[in-house]
Amino acid sequence: MIYTLTHSLSTNERMPLSRIELLQGTLDMIVLQTLRWGPRHGYGLVQMIRTNSRGVLQVDTGSLYPALHRLEREGSIAASWEISENRQRVRVYRLTPAGRKRLAAERSKWDQLSEAIAGIFTPPVPEET
Amino acid sequence: MSNVWRSHTRRQEELDEEIRGHLEMAIRDRMARGETREEAERAARREFGDVTTVREVTGDMWSGQSVERVVQDARWAFRGLLRAPGFTAVAILTLALGIGANTAIFSVVNGVLLEPLPYPQSHELVFITSQFPTLGFDQFPVDAAEYLELKERNRSFQDLGAYVTSAANIGGDGQQPARVTSAIATSSLFTTLGVPARVGRTFTPAEMLPNAAPVAVLSSELWESVFGGQRDIVGKQIDIEGVKTTVVGIMPPGFDIHDQGVKLWQPLTLDPAQRNQYRGSHFLLLVGRLAPNVTLARAKSELQTLLAQWPAADGADANAAPGAPGFVHTPTTKNHRLRYDDLRKDIVGSIGTALVVLQAAVALVLLIACANMANLLLMRAETRHKELAVRAALGAGRGRLMRQFLAEGLVLSFGGAIAGVALAYWGLHALVAANAGSIPRAASVALDGRVLLFTLVLAIGTGLLFGLAPLLHLSTNSIGLTLRDAGSRTTAGAARNRVRRALVIAEMAFAVMLVVGAGLLLRSFWNLMRVDSGFDRSSLTTFNVVLPAAPYKDSTRRVAFFSDLMTKLGAVPGVKAVAAMSGLPPRRQVNANDTDIEGYVPEPNGPAQNVDYYQYVTPSYVSTMGIPVVEGRSFGPADGPLSTPVAMINQRMANLFYGKTSPIGRRVKPGGSKNWFTIVGVLKDVKQGGVDSRTGSELYLDYEQAPVALGFAPRNMNVVIRSPLEPASLAATVRRTVSSLDPTLPVVKFRTMDDVFSDSVSRPRFLAQLLGIFAAVALALAAIGTYGVLAYSVTVRRRELGIRMALGSSQQGLLSLVLGQGMGLAVIGLIAGLVGAFAVTRLASSLLFGVKPADPLTFIGVSAFMLAVAFVACLVPARRATHVDPLVALRTE
Repeated sequence: MIYTLTHSLSTNERMPLSRIELLQGTLDMIVLQTLRWGPRHGYGLVQMIRTNSRGVLQVDTGSLYPALHRLEREGSIAASWEISENRQRVRVYRLTPAGRKRLAAERSKWDQLSEAIAGIFTPPVPEET
Repeated sequence: MSNVWRSHTRRQEELDEEIRGHLEMAIRDRMARGETREEAERAARREFGDVTTVREVTGDMWSGQSVERVVQDARWAFRGLLRAPGFTAVAILTLALGIGANTAIFSVVNGVLLEPLPYPQSHELVFITSQFPTLGFDQFPVDAAEYLELKERNRSFQDLGAYVTSAANIGGDGQQPARVTSAIATSSLFTTLGVPARVGRTFTPAEMLPNAAPVAVLSSELWESVFGGQRDIVGKQIDIEGVKTTVVGIMPPGFDIHDQGVKLWQPLTLDPAQRNQYRGSHFLLLVGRLAPNVTLARAKSELQTLLAQWPAADGADANAAPGAPGFVHTPTTKNHRLRYDDLRKDIVGSIGTALVVLQAAVALVLLIACANMANLLLMRAETRHKELAVRAALGAGRGRLMRQFLAEGLVLSFGGAIAGVALAYWGLHALVAANAGSIPRAASVALDGRVLLFTLVLAIGTGLLFGLAPLLHLSTNSIGLTLRDAGSRTTAGAARNRVRRALVIAEMAFAVMLVVGAGLLLRSFWNLMRVDSGFDRSSLTTFNVVLPAAPYKDSTRRVAFFSDLMTKLGAVPGVKAVAAMSGLPPRRQVNANDTDIEGYVPEPNGPAQNVDYYQYVTPSYVSTMGIPVVEGRSFGPADGPLSTPVAMINQRMANLFYGKTSPIGRRVKPGGSKNWFTIVGVLKDVKQGGVDSRTGSELYLDYEQAPVALGFAPRNMNVVIRSPLEPASLAATVRRTVSSLDPTLPVVKFRTMDDVFSDSVSRPRFLAQLLGIFAAVALALAAIGTYGVLAYSVTVRRRELGIRMALGSSQQGLLSLVLGQGMGLAVIGLIAGLVGAFAVTRLASSLLFGVKPADPLTFIGVSAFMLAVAFVACLVPARRATHVDPLVALRTE
């Protein structure tokens, strides 16, 4: 099963049934985390997220590009035009120091959230009074 | 701005390249895995999704700077509207009608009510007239003695001028005789108005003295039309009323007094030494210019002091009755006052109320148009649910969506405004051309800067008003809800429906108010048209001839001329009867003549011995006009120039002075006459002063007896011809006949009597017509709005209706369900509108004639009519509801 990452609703008309709606911050976190491994262009990011998730997660382009440009505008990432190995001009994104801080913040928020959810699945034994 | 724009364009190009690159890499990878080029391209595109939206939404992430944002919003709005050309066309047309009508009416309001008069410091100008409360004259001319004394005694005015308008025949140098509106004025009138001559000069005080050489000042219009605009006309002599007159100056274009259209100015002969001879002859109108720092209110309070001192200043006994020893005809604080009015307000007069009514009417039309637009946009927002949801989801915040809706509203309203201004330009010309006579200051009506500013404000206001409507829809639904709603057709949000219903009710209510107003004005006009004029107007034609004073100095020559003319015209085949009269109904000015009535003792509060109208008529007058003789006889061949002077009176005069006794055989003596005139007949009242005003008392004198019996016969006579001949062929005959008697005489005001009467009610007709048009537009818009909302609700409820049908509802049941829903709204709107109309129409009661502001017939008729219109508007969508196929309706979801 391959899950498509999107937030809320994608522009993709043929939406697979197996989509995961993410909060906006979560997609940002995944993008920032992936860029920690080095500068990437948009297509490369899609590939890398799929590989790193062992083929389970597919980012929807309709969500990825707006997220990239929004992050760029916020200053979390920076972009520059480079020439790829196929002699093609590509827009490459890299993490900025501000982006690292942002990632750390998103990460801790995510950890809190996962812990909270995990807590729901393993509730503490109610104390008897 | 251009920098921002350039960086925006560059970013869009880069984004395109980035997306293209993405697709190319995807295709290459797929081909590497063994797919063909076509397969790879198709798959890559499918995987990527809708390129256009991704591009737009991603680009939106950059819209930071306000200028860029505005440009983007406008582009977004344009694109959206171009994708729905039908909607856009309907919207712009609706707005063009609403904004165009408002622009046109506002330019009239602006030109007539707001624009200052075309004189320097025109707010200082005051119009001065007299008032005779006991005679019922609220605004009357002043006499020359009063003018001279007011000028001398007042401290409020820096300058004071007097004038009287009339008409003059001009000719000379082989020119066609022409008749122009002229003014006899004091030299001080020009200095008071503050306008010097454009070429040459205005009059000097010396030119006002008796026996001064005759001079004249021309208007630019007359100078150009009759004298070909030659500069050397100044100093030359032209023929005015048969007198060689020297032209001393030419006034600037548009120069006029009190909107009279004066083309020729001549000096008033006024000898201050002869002041006492002028008393009691009221014919002058005065204009004063307030001294610096003097307000109209202060001038009015000074006037009270002046009036209190006036009789004593002229050596008169203020308490002496007219005719008693010690009485001098001077202004007093009681029966003979002077009044000051703002000149501009006096010119505008009663049209103010009418214009306010019209402006309110077009405002209602625009409100209805806005309600329609709000409804349209609301529906459009709902059909675009998904697109909006995508934008919201991808990070376009509420604020941004709001801006985009507003942008769409503004693009529409500006489109409507541009089309509306074009419509107004065209409509205004038609309006002014068709109603020049009933709009004062028509020359100053134009689409000027102020009007365009008004239109701009209107466009922004309406754009904001209905552009925000779709937000009502957003605010009642969180984005998440909207998304889930997007695919399914469950019943729309209750709040949204409430808004839509409220809009329909409001539209209906406004339309009802307008239709009631139009109905009342139409009934008024109908009543005016049905007023009995007192004579038979059918196949009656009239024209006017004025004999110039110099060649026709002798009254018997005047009588001889008209006698010859009657004989010649009476001999024309097809002419049944012909007569002449001094005053043409129904637009006569009251002349208020002092008249001795033999044996009449005035009661304390009874009528003064004063007759409203004198009418000089030729012997065949009564039979030609078809005026019924109530008692006695009309003038006949027995009443020769030298026989006993005779007179006829109208019913009103008989009732006023003779009550129940018969006036036949009683005698009257017209003011200034030495002889007594015996009353031989009583005629039915003729509407001399207007079909909508009270009939005045009238004394008929025999024109042929006048030179001997009175020593005077008027020069200005109106001829009436009863004939079934075409007016055009009759006109040619008349001109030929007049010219055969005196080639210097122009024939003017040649019209059928029906036209004369219909002109006299041109203002009420113009009002009724305009309001009728606006009401029709409002009605159409409201009907379309009701239809639209109901049709939409049927579409939205298709599933529900299908289920009802599947569960056994009859077609009849569905029809009445939908019909009931629509008619329910219509009835609420109707009631609200009737209440509104009831509250508002009384404010315009001065415009009504013979009908009460709360006329039950109009209210009931309008209600029935509006319900019928609403029924038709609801029937179409209701019938469609009955054609819903339950299977199809359920399957489409």
